[in-house]
Amino acid sequence: MKKSAKIIILFLAPAIFSYMLVFVYPMIRTIVMSFFAVRNVTDPIYRWSFNGIENYLTIFGSDLFIQSVFNVAKIWFYGGISVMLIALLFAVILTSGIRGKRFFRASIYLPNIVSAVAMATMWIQYVYNARFGFLNEMFTALGMIELAAIEWTGPGMLFWSMLIAYSFGMVGYHMLIFMSGIEKIPAEIFEAATIDGASILNRFFMITLPLLKGVSKTNVMLWSVSTAAFFIWSQMFSPLVPALQTVTPMIYMFQTIFGADLSVSVHDSGAGAATGVILTLIIIVIFLIVNFVFKKDEVEY
Amino acid sequence: MNSSKKIGTKFNWTKEISLMPGYVIITLWVALTFFLLAWIISASFSTTREIFGGRVFEFETGLNFNNYVKVWTAHMVSAYFVNSLIYTVTTCVVTILIAAPAAYALARFKFKFNKLIQNMFIAALGIPAIMIIMPLFYLATVLDLTNSRLTLTVIYICMSVPFTVYFLLPFFSNISSSYEEAAYMDGCGPIKTFWNIMFPLAQPGIITVTIFNFIIIWNEFFMALIFANHTRLRPLGVGLYTMIQSLRYTGDWAGMFAAVVIVFVPTLVVFLIFSEKIIASVTGGGIKG
Repeated sequence: MKKSAKIIILFLAPAIFSYMLVFVYPMIRTIVMSFFAVRNVTDPIYRWSFNGIENYLTIFGSDLFIQSVFNVAKIWFYGGISVMLIALLFAVILTSGIRGKRFFRASIYLPNIVSAVAMATMWIQYVYNARFGFLNEMFTALGMIELAAIEWTGPGMLFWSMLIAYSFGMVGYHMLIFMSGIEKIPAEIFEAATIDGASILNRFFMITLPLLKGVSKTNVMLWSVSTAAFFIWSQMFSPLVPALQTVTPMIYMFQTIFGADLSVSVHDSGAGAATGVILTLIIIVIFLIVNFVFKKDEVEY
Repeated sequence: MNSSKKIGTKFNWTKEISLMPGYVIITLWVALTFFLLAWIISASFSTTREIFGGRVFEFETGLNFNNYVKVWTAHMVSAYFVNSLIYTVTTCVVTILIAAPAAYALARFKFKFNKLIQNMFIAALGIPAIMIIMPLFYLATVLDLTNSRLTLTVIYICMSVPFTVYFLLPFFSNISSSYEEAAYMDGCGPIKTFWNIMFPLAQPGIITVTIFNFIIIWNEFFMALIFANHTRLRPLGVGLYTMIQSLRYTGDWAGMFAAVVIVFVPTLVVFLIFSEKIIASVTGGGIKG
């Protein structure tokens, strides 16, 4: 017994140590930091001074922060609904027995494995370009002059352009997860329903959808985690100074801690830490809500 | 996994027609994806003048490889590329060396905190990066490591360990314990048993998780922006980001699209080779909420 304990420790120690170094220690320090006035991220502890919930009051008093939370909520809600509906539609189509399923599946998933910086560049510099852009050329060719004249990366459309570009790449990933759920449903159930005269729509709403509770929960969780971390796309769509339309909590925090930019006049790492804590709390609350909505009654076949 | 419809099945007109709307929707989406990619690749071989004239697919000036030569040398893309390779390959290798023994111990041994440690690793998957960067940046400064590739590499490794442990665990649980018993009979110690017998047996899982780690680390941007933002240390993603800001002003659009292609080609190649493996493990319950 003594010997196996030694082996367990030997095998686990490096992994646990790495976990302590990069997750436990930083999280504790960030939480503590959020209750202190800390100017620079590199300030040692003796230069911190306790100031209670002052940092939290600071960020909630900042228009930029409030806007960033509002933006991320919009991304989560509008983007979430569109991505999930399209992903579900594609998953249903791909599992309906069409030919070339493997090809289509891989092609739809493809954008997800490409660097977001490259994808965002493609959208900003090509698709949305006002002079030779894809949308501009397409709408001009179709004779839709008003649509062709839209300034996609102008202040009015910036948020939606960013959301469309981001969502486009996320569809494939969530589609794969829906497909895994649909493929686990035994074919006999569908056959029986078809024999009983159920239409395609009936089968979808009466069989497929209720049985997809488990994967839907997974999808919502994964969508929430990736939305909370929303950063690159925002950074790419307004690279120099964060625009009000695209700012997210990650961007806000990045600016408060490291920003050389003008939007946040002084570095305030205490406020940055408070932003992190609030974002983590939001994620936890979303998890609890999702767990409550999709209660544990997963079906076994 | 595979649908029961094989290429050889008889062509059923009524069925294919009922599937028509599905074919149309999917084909349009995929055609759009390929068109955009094809445009970017063509643009990377044309000239800025052709791009602005909307004549990207005509190749009037032939294939302009010099776009690639230019960004590769003048804009330091070669250095960024090598950096990306160093970060990604080191992370993939060391992560496995740390995570595989841990996954094995958690899968095989019964002990008091086993479940707790497993949950701890799962919890890490939901921790936002924002919670950990400040203390890590402080540590890097105190240790005088802000100007070294080591910092980002260590962070990448530590951040990849939880997912890798979580992913490998079922692979080790599914190996029959008769292998260990036989090794024990032959007088093989537990460490040797692990590296010589169990590790090779878990290879399918190890390969798949390494593909995932490769793609994730290659495309990582946020940590790199904070911990490797010196020209010398930048990986491709951050390099491309800074380059785009400057190319926009110099007006070298063809060069910019060449840089975009250089960034996505490695993951694209990995995906073309391993797409079935990657997709099977996303759909096969490898990732759960």
